[in-house]
Amino acid sequence: MKEPRELNLPDTVRYTRDHEWAAMPGDTARIGVSDYAQDQLGDIVYVEMPEVGSAFARGDTFGTLESVKAVSELYMPMGGEVVAVNEALVDAPELINRDSYDNWIIEIRPSNPAEYEKLMTSEGYLEMLKE
Amino acid sequence: MGNTEKRTALHDWHVAHGANMATFAGYHMPLWYPAGARAEHLAPIRTVGIFDTSHMPMLTVKGPGARKLLQYCFCRDLERCIGKQKGPLVDGRCAYGFFLNEKGHVIDDAIVYQLSPTDYMIVANAGMGATLAAHLGRHPADAGADIRDLTDRAGKIDIQGPEAARLLQRLIRDPERFFDRLIYFSFKGGFGECPSSSVVELLDGTPLLIARTGYTGEFGFELFMSLDAFPALWRKVLDEGKDLGALPCGLAARDSLRVGAVLPLSHQDIGDWPFAANPWLFALPWEEDRRGFTKDFIGAAALKKLVTVEHTLPFAGHDPRKIVIAPDTHVTDPRGERIGRVLTCATDMAIDRVEGRIVSLATPAEKGRPEDFNPKGLCCGFVKVNRPLAPGEEVILTDGKRRIKVEIREDIRPDRTARRPIAEMLQ
Repeated sequence: MKEPRELNLPDTVRYTRDHEWAAMPGDTARIGVSDYAQDQLGDIVYVEMPEVGSAFARGDTFGTLESVKAVSELYMPMGGEVVAVNEALVDAPELINRDSYDNWIIEIRPSNPAEYEKLMTSEGYLEMLKE
Repeated sequence: MGNTEKRTALHDWHVAHGANMATFAGYHMPLWYPAGARAEHLAPIRTVGIFDTSHMPMLTVKGPGARKLLQYCFCRDLERCIGKQKGPLVDGRCAYGFFLNEKGHVIDDAIVYQLSPTDYMIVANAGMGATLAAHLGRHPADAGADIRDLTDRAGKIDIQGPEAARLLQRLIRDPERFFDRLIYFSFKGGFGECPSSSVVELLDGTPLLIARTGYTGEFGFELFMSLDAFPALWRKVLDEGKDLGALPCGLAARDSLRVGAVLPLSHQDIGDWPFAANPWLFALPWEEDRRGFTKDFIGAAALKKLVTVEHTLPFAGHDPRKIVIAPDTHVTDPRGERIGRVLTCATDMAIDRVEGRIVSLATPAEKGRPEDFNPKGLCCGFVKVNRPLAPGEEVILTDGKRRIKVEIREDIRPDRTARRPIAEMLQ
């Protein structure tokens, strides 16, 4: 189990209290889980992802991560419509353990891009983890 | 970590080697190590896995009244429990069974080992030493039986997997003599407070008791030794096992492996309800005509009178997705009618479905394992339902949010190696 200072928490994305991250370089946003989440879960064996075209509000459950010991729900950091899911995770769910930032889970068209600013920065998230 | 938690002698080793620790039955134990729970589940199936199981209590029951006391308290008939011929328990043999209460409910499951006709060792579940010792002590036996609880006073290491014998060969004196006629559920050697008439020693002369038993369903051994020999032996086992692919394995893999092997977890799959209509009834000493038992024992009267029972059944799903066991979790029939609850739900990482049939990494190619077989794992476990269901029938597990269709099974992970002849495993 990683100590907080050993975690990989890039400042190019923003974080939620439920350990998702979002990155919004342009019109769309990509969403995944933090290094803390994958470390806590252990080996991920299945990723349940939504249909392309489905829409969710911020805080809605959009999928699950299945680890050997547990089932973890995934919550939308921002509301929006799903425009892509990471097909590579179907056959290789363990990619999330290898790099939980390179291996995003869904890509959305945000319904309200301003929601991005409400997410935690990498410093804020680290502070939360140390609590 | 609270200071009421117990630690095994290897606790600091586990932490120093990056284990993800958690509390189980009052002990701070490794859930998995950096290799991960999946690799640790696969190790006992492909090579060999090493488990710190020193949290399991050993008890001794000794004296002229010991066998009679055990006959009364343990549900196996010790005079009719060995092999197809139903011979008696003798020196060097052991038997799996249950300690029941007067209501026929399970106190604990355990293995009883005969060290001598008047000396027996019991290995039970973590945290149960004191309860079992008290239970045995409450029931008088003729001419005395001395009961001792050795909880936390001995070391225990499980070595499980096809390479287990090859690994042991490197660690003990006179391995050929040790492996000779070492059949499933037999043991040799002794240690400390559990001496027997046979001797097994490490290369440096340290005495051990080694049993052909385990909790993974795979070929392997449980090693018992004095506490002061334990940490050094743990390190030696892992060191010698390195080129055989040995991995230290935590409780997550231990749990997922035992589920695939249809083995119960005490206080979860067996517990404070009548011991009936479940996969482990071979342990009850029914007469041939099933009208009565071959001996009297605590719980016998209640079980004979039993009318309505719930049915504990193994199941396996169609993908790795599990159901979380929460207050709302229940089982329905295909029409949606609630019929029971989920006792255990885990993922057996070594299996997957091939055209509907369950195939394991251990399944031979000629029995249907495809060449490129890369199992994603299947959810599996036990349900307790209000009606008998046949293998092949489907039920639905749901927690209100997720709904998973699973198949009732007689067995889960195929091609397990626990009973393989030793000679085969030494080739």
